[in-house]
Amino acid sequence: MTAPLTALGYALLVLAAAGLELAARRRGAGRLADVLSAALRHPPVRFLVLAGWLWLGWHVFVRVDWR
Amino acid sequence: MDRHLRSGRSGTRALRAAAGLAGVAYAWWAVGLAPFSAAATLAVVGAGAVAAVAGSRARRPAGRAVAVRQAAPWIALAVAATTLQLASYLQQPRRDHPTLSSLTNALLDSHPARAAAFACWLAVAAVLARR
Repeated sequence: MTAPLTALGYALLVLAAAGLELAARRRGAGRLADVLSAALRHPPVRFLVLAGWLWLGWHVFVRVDWR
Repeated sequence: MDRHLRSGRSGTRALRAAAGLAGVAYAWWAVGLAPFSAAATLAVVGAGAVAAVAGSRARRPAGRAVAVRQAAPWIALAVAATTLQLASYLQQPRRDHPTLSSLTNALLDSHPARAAAFACWLAVAAVLARR
């Protein structure tokens, strides 16, 4: 039961992101690209986001036995 | 003068194309390394760090101004996604607590798909690192 709940959590996050992006496009402000670009102008935020991105790459491309 | 500009631009394009091809070739090689190995960790994290350093030399284009109330829902979403991923990652067994990597396994279970995803990941690292 836990696995479907977790998968549902990820699916809800994707749907929420799509909804936010659509609403922002309709409004003409607050799109993900704008928010990300504004946040990444601050070096500490850029460092944190990059560290998270590197961790995600390691997690997806190293810590999986896909063959 | 115009000829110099044009040759400079085509030189930059050629350099970018060569870097892109080298990146794809590297991605093909890197995803073929043994999973969970130190070599794979070095190949993936090292290439990501190199892409980030290369990307940090570029300037970020000016974006639109964003109010805090417009950014707040995105921040909440990022926190929720990070929490869900970390909570799943720290719990076992994996089949009961799937992480993003276990969910994407079905999509990335061939060498070409995995190499393409890795090349995209490198490109995004360079874009995120722009100042």
